[in-house]
Amino acid sequence: MLHRAHRFRFVILSVVSLGIVMGTAWPHQAQAQSQGKKSDKKSDKKSEKKKDNKAAAQQASLKLPPLKTPEDKLKFLEVIRDSMPTRKLTSTVSYTPSDLDKALTFELKLPADKYAKPISDERFVRRAYLDLTGTPPSAKVVTEFVQSSETRKRAKLVDELLDTDDYARRWARYWRNVIFFNSTAPRNKVNPQALEDWFAKEFKNNVPWDRMVSEMVSQTPKFNKAKKDDNNEWGQKYGPNNFVLAYDNDPTDIASHTARIFMGINIQCAECHDHPFDKWKREQFHELAAFFAPNKYYMPDKDDPSQKSEMHAQFLLGEKPPPGLKPDALRVAVAAYLIYNTDNYWFARAYVNRIWNELIGDGFYSVDSLGPDKESLHPIVLNRLASLFRYKNFDHKWLFRTIMNSETYQREIRTIDERDEFFSAVRPMRLNADEVAESIEHVAGDLGRLTRGVQKTFKQDPSKPQADQRGSMQQALLLMNNAPLQKQLKQSELRKKLVATKSNEQLMKDLYLGALARSPTEKEMTRGLSHLKKSGSREDAVDDLLWVLTNSAEFITKR
Amino acid sequence: MLNTSLVLPMSLSQRGEMTRRSLLQRSAAGLLASGVWSRIGLHADEVKREGKACILVWLAGAPSQMEMWDPKPGTGNGGETKAISTAVSGIQIAEYWPKIAKQMKEIALIRSVSGKEAAHERGSYHLQTGRRLTGSKDFPHFGAVVASRIGDRKSDMPNFVSVGETLGSGFLGVNHAPFIVDRPGELPENVASATSPPRLKRRLELLREQDEDLSEAGAKAIVEEHSKLYERANKLMTSPRLKSFELAGESEPTFEAYGKSAFGKGCLVARRLVESGVPFVEVVRGGWDMHNNIYDRIKTNAADVDQGLSQLLADLKQRGLLQKTLVICMGEFGRTPKINSRDPKPGRDHWAKNFNVLMAGCGVKGGRAIGKTNDTGQEITDRSVAVEDLFQSFCHCLEIDATENLYSPAGRPMKIVDGGEPIKELFA
Repeated sequence: MLHRAHRFRFVILSVVSLGIVMGTAWPHQAQAQSQGKKSDKKSDKKSEKKKDNKAAAQQASLKLPPLKTPEDKLKFLEVIRDSMPTRKLTSTVSYTPSDLDKALTFELKLPADKYAKPISDERFVRRAYLDLTGTPPSAKVVTEFVQSSETRKRAKLVDELLDTDDYARRWARYWRNVIFFNSTAPRNKVNPQALEDWFAKEFKNNVPWDRMVSEMVSQTPKFNKAKKDDNNEWGQKYGPNNFVLAYDNDPTDIASHTARIFMGINIQCAECHDHPFDKWKREQFHELAAFFAPNKYYMPDKDDPSQKSEMHAQFLLGEKPPPGLKPDALRVAVAAYLIYNTDNYWFARAYVNRIWNELIGDGFYSVDSLGPDKESLHPIVLNRLASLFRYKNFDHKWLFRTIMNSETYQREIRTIDERDEFFSAVRPMRLNADEVAESIEHVAGDLGRLTRGVQKTFKQDPSKPQADQRGSMQQALLLMNNAPLQKQLKQSELRKKLVATKSNEQLMKDLYLGALARSPTEKEMTRGLSHLKKSGSREDAVDDLLWVLTNSAEFITKR
Repeated sequence: MLNTSLVLPMSLSQRGEMTRRSLLQRSAAGLLASGVWSRIGLHADEVKREGKACILVWLAGAPSQMEMWDPKPGTGNGGETKAISTAVSGIQIAEYWPKIAKQMKEIALIRSVSGKEAAHERGSYHLQTGRRLTGSKDFPHFGAVVASRIGDRKSDMPNFVSVGETLGSGFLGVNHAPFIVDRPGELPENVASATSPPRLKRRLELLREQDEDLSEAGAKAIVEEHSKLYERANKLMTSPRLKSFELAGESEPTFEAYGKSAFGKGCLVARRLVESGVPFVEVVRGGWDMHNNIYDRIKTNAADVDQGLSQLLADLKQRGLLQKTLVICMGEFGRTPKINSRDPKPGRDHWAKNFNVLMAGCGVKGGRAIGKTNDTGQEITDRSVAVEDLFQSFCHCLEIDATENLYSPAGRPMKIVDGGEPIKELFA
């Protein structure tokens, strides 16, 4: 299986490696290529690479436009982006959800009865809402969706939800959490909300992933004392500044989190761990860090930190920027190497794997702990998705559509212990803190100050595999007993409606639709009706049932 | 070498663990399973290590051994730090720890711990689990191991409490997970029941049935965990021991003795919890990652810990608890013996080659310093101690069989401690 993956990768790379050439990949050349000189490029590469490297690089550094403002940087990266041969392939490559299913089925080699059953419309609508908007669907939405006889209604729902502000906000929050969960910066130097708002705007406009990452990685926020009163002395109010600020502008931290979040690899391991990434040694890590240094960058000696050696910026795959670049331009260079060198397949793969992990419940490898082929499941499927994501111009919505319209996504849940059965069912997932807060508000109405408490109590590391996420006693206690929450449930619209409903059957239907976005099963109906009958007070019985559903495992689970 | 009398017979416990596992696997809901255990009285047969407990004072960020228990005054690497004498002649420690110096008769210092991980996350994992981080991060924190071995499973209190964030219980699951206290001294939030006991009982019964349906629909693991959490939460709500979280009734002199810092309060809460039968309490004090400005920062940090930790030892001893309570004070690794040249004032960087751990109580013989480093502080010259040796020693104190197997979810057996031996100098 392994060697097949490698061959596959080789094919992909030979198709696309006409673009930015490792080592000599400074943008002016890319620009030249896009103007029609690319035919000779490849044959020249080997013989002249070494000889020309220095001279070309120096020339390049002279020709650089100023790269001070974010606009300069983006414009410059745009030139590189446009030179990518993959852009021209985009329109001709097609890959449907059923291609994905076929590829996975072929890889999994499981008997048909091992696959979980397809989900009902009711299940689909809650799952899709949670995944794309972070909130459960209203009773009305569920009912209408189930009743609708439209063809392709699931695909249409996905399309609709991808166009909502809630979609943009849900994923903005996710990425804010990914970046800030491991933040080392003091609170007054960052503005996570600004980052979230910026993400939301970008997702709303479906700005491709490469653009978003290049903007974050290439920022060089500078201290400006005059803006201190405005809490903006580091430019933290400008959203994309907050990636580097989250790691306190520290070169080594930025380097390790760039590799972790945007390439899915834990590069710090290379220091002390036998992995295929062995080739990325301590020195290479510090060469990556050198891209983010404001001045010269030194690597401290392992044994004696007072002894240091100067390190020159060099990207993990060997790309060296021309000498003498200013810090602003260095960060643009590292963004270009990270994103636009098609040999760096880790970049697209890390994104695909994260989204897959969020939607299916297991990643092809655990999201940010180094993803060498050895540890990736079904690399042929993952690499295919990742390279297509690149061909499709890093279009988020393409990826969501491809996954969510597949049979793989639309299967019932099952707790899977064996890795070789991953993806034959969807893993039931604990809702994240934001989704829990939204779900509570969905039933109880606006939580006001309590929202914070819920978010804190249900906080989880978004980069940890779903199977390793755990609940806590504090979470149970909050949902069981929190006085303001219980009070608000009593005053909620849903409760009012339920108490006023004459028919007990109707009450049960509305209760389950309102709290769990589905109809009750026969068993649940019988149980509920019996409780309503037995209780002395109808209001008490409604309170009991509401309590039970808001405390149920299902309430905080994506099924 | 360890003499054989140190090894306790643990076969019953081993068998118990296996039986519980298969029971768990067979039953749909955790609630049901725990009912079964208590009915057939599995626990009654278990060896009880009555009253043993452990308090871990965790110095997050990696404290400097040169500014703690292994100062090198008068050498270049030693820097500004002076040494002071302690209650035990021949043992000197850094000047920032005068109160600990007075307690030295109770304390064993290990100056020659040799680690392998010099990054925070990996080092913390190593020193909190005894394992190095390789791929899966699912090995339990030592507190969870203690909770699972000597904690009372039917306890109405959590068997592992941490004042401050810490690593979780990994594959040992939520039954042994740390109960995190954010504000030491206050009652945990949301422990007052929203309704009357009989009504709550009815609600929980309905909840169990509701959850069982989801379990059958494919969410077995989530429901099992959920049921356990609700069972434990329900017990905690009515526990008469809840008040041991609260410091409201403590006297002013007690507060002053422990120090009024959050750390001091944490130590006092730890003592109260241990006294009430909680077998493992961790108290976290951060701020030790002193890459720069080490000589200013060490003073404030050390002052808090010196006061809280020394009073904790004194208080435990005075109450007769120290002989049953193991106190450990450590961080994830040490700091470079050479001083760096960072701005605006120098500090020390990450260093795992040799660092210090403090132990006291529960059979640890005090008044000794184990292991030596050379004058530059860069080489261990006597009695190198591996992290596994430390964990063997912890287990030995708490009478936990370190060779016993824990089982990962996939059923893979893993020894509580993989290799190493107890440090005999601690007990001789």
